[in-house]
Amino acid sequence: MTPKPPQGNAGAALLMRIAELRAWLFLIILVVFFEVWARVAYGASFIFNVYNLQSISVFATAPLLLALGQTFVIISAGIDLSLGFVMGLASVIAAHSANFALDSLGLPPLLAMLCGILSGVIVTFVPGLVNGWLIAQLRVPPFIGTLGMYGVARGAAYLFAGGMTISVTNDWYSGIGNNRYFGVPMLVILTAIACLIMHYLLSQTRFGQHTYAMGASQPAARRAGINIRALTMQIYFLSAIMAGVAGALYTGRFSAGAPQAGEPLLLDSIAAVVIGGASLFGGSGNIAGTIAGALVIAVIQYGLVFIDVEPFWQFIAVGAVIIISVLVDQTQRKFLGGRQVE
Amino acid sequence: MDRRSAVKLMGAAAAVAGLGALPGRARAADKITIALVPGLTADGFYVTMHHGAEAAAKAVGADLIYQGAAEWNVSLQVPVLDAVIGKKPTALLIAPTDKKQLIQPLKKAFDAGIAVVCVDTFIGTGVFQTGSGDADFPLSYVASDNVLGGRMAARALAKAIGEKGKVYVSNVKPGVSTTDQREQGFKEEMKRFSGIEMLETQFNDDDANKAAAQVQAVIGRVPDLAGVFGANLFSAGGTANGVKAAGKIGKIKLAGFDAPESIVPQLKDGTFELTIAQHPAEIGYFGFMVAYANATGNPVPTAIGTGFTVMTGANIDDPKVSRYLYKSS
Repeated sequence: MTPKPPQGNAGAALLMRIAELRAWLFLIILVVFFEVWARVAYGASFIFNVYNLQSISVFATAPLLLALGQTFVIISAGIDLSLGFVMGLASVIAAHSANFALDSLGLPPLLAMLCGILSGVIVTFVPGLVNGWLIAQLRVPPFIGTLGMYGVARGAAYLFAGGMTISVTNDWYSGIGNNRYFGVPMLVILTAIACLIMHYLLSQTRFGQHTYAMGASQPAARRAGINIRALTMQIYFLSAIMAGVAGALYTGRFSAGAPQAGEPLLLDSIAAVVIGGASLFGGSGNIAGTIAGALVIAVIQYGLVFIDVEPFWQFIAVGAVIIISVLVDQTQRKFLGGRQVE
Repeated sequence: MDRRSAVKLMGAAAAVAGLGALPGRARAADKITIALVPGLTADGFYVTMHHGAEAAAKAVGADLIYQGAAEWNVSLQVPVLDAVIGKKPTALLIAPTDKKQLIQPLKKAFDAGIAVVCVDTFIGTGVFQTGSGDADFPLSYVASDNVLGGRMAARALAKAIGEKGKVYVSNVKPGVSTTDQREQGFKEEMKRFSGIEMLETQFNDDDANKAAAQVQAVIGRVPDLAGVFGANLFSAGGTANGVKAAGKIGKIKLAGFDAPESIVPQLKDGTFELTIAQHPAEIGYFGFMVAYANATGNPVPTAIGTGFTVMTGANIDDPKVSRYLYKSS
């Protein structure tokens, strides 16, 4: 659903093309910047370095998993603020279930792990459906509805965890979070599969096309016969499930369920989607952009530590990229002749 | 002194009067009740502090009320505090969740005639009974000396890495009094080792994912990194994951802070070289005793610094060390 540029304006068309790819452009600029700095200052390569690639890609997985669901939500002109603590809740439940299956039910570690992951994901059905219900049926604005769920999920996560982190001793489970296959971290493989599925859903299915339509103009989408209520439910459901996957994998990686696991990741997930080219007004965005957005954030934060810049610059750098990204988005809109969105 | 003698006299009088029903009732009404409001309940650190306070209450035959919020949050702690004040305890032990925002709510307790003792965290500057400022009214501040804790971590880590190499601190965020002090103590002590180079502190926002990526980035630049001090559990845990991913467990020595029971296997398998255990039971015990001594007319110190224990894989089975693990229930 790439918006068509005004005809006969080659310059504008080119600019738009660039604007669409801005996240990848940012990524390339950043990588070149860090590469040059690392070579000059340390005589080392930043990007032609398997170790760095592994570290950065694993670093990006957690915010990216949240951002994948968030992409659908933002394209539909919504926002999901509950993701961080839904992830924490999933992480806690996954840890408890994996421990329970292993210790009390006496299941083998592999099955216990699957129990944990499954329970972690299933528990997110509740916040997902409630979010969807609030927004679709009761017409609560997404910002408020999911903010409420942010609190509820947070409280539930802390209650289930008893205010602590729940440690998990299960080699299978920690393996899924930490092992590598032919040098590729398992987490990256799983996240890549999730990306492919999400990309397919968004670009190849009716569900994805309806999401764009709803974000571009809800009244128009309704008149076109799209069931907005059902669609909204599905979108927030999907978003919560992705947070569940992120939480269940977090538990594997750190061998512990933590209620606050996703709290710092929420804003990173929104930033990744926005840097990736989605508009908070809805109607635009794609999975490839979101992947680039998540990588941009990971590369900045990792790169600045790698080249030994004072840590506070990280915040400034990420903030600056978000602002530039939104400015590019605005300019793009101007070239589209003020395309009206709801 | 006068009041204490008076109390003694009263006690003696009661004893002389015999152990009849009347003095018994009078004594029940006069019984000293001390409340403990933790930063959050169900946290191993505060649970252990509660145990310490209970032991003290039992030793002197006073009552203990233990009430707190489930989360570290000012707006959750204050209602609990108000409810506790409503019960009119003799004294109040509290771990304030904010240096500034808890001043007024605690002033209310003080104005109601309830003696306030800060445990673990503090209000204002943490220096009390000086006659200056609006937050000097608490009787005393009983807590770990976090600067000292940082120093102990530095000494133990320096020894573990043979007093040479590069180290850094993985910290939560700037502006948190306890973790700032640990970092300060750690850096000051490390200056005494000429062979050790301190690298820039990394702040992880309590995000284990970020702490892991940061240590990996530092290792990428400084392959001969010798050690890291994680100033709290999340920093240490995230850093451990990054070190593991880089295949450097055992080569890079990790020093952690705090000692929940879950740390034991990680000390034994070498994930952590050492951790600095605070003594929360001591904080509870001596905090209670300060409040009790004051209530019975005895002078009390305005600050008590409690100790630390360095735990390693080698000493953790020693009951003298393992008794300092935080209890989970």
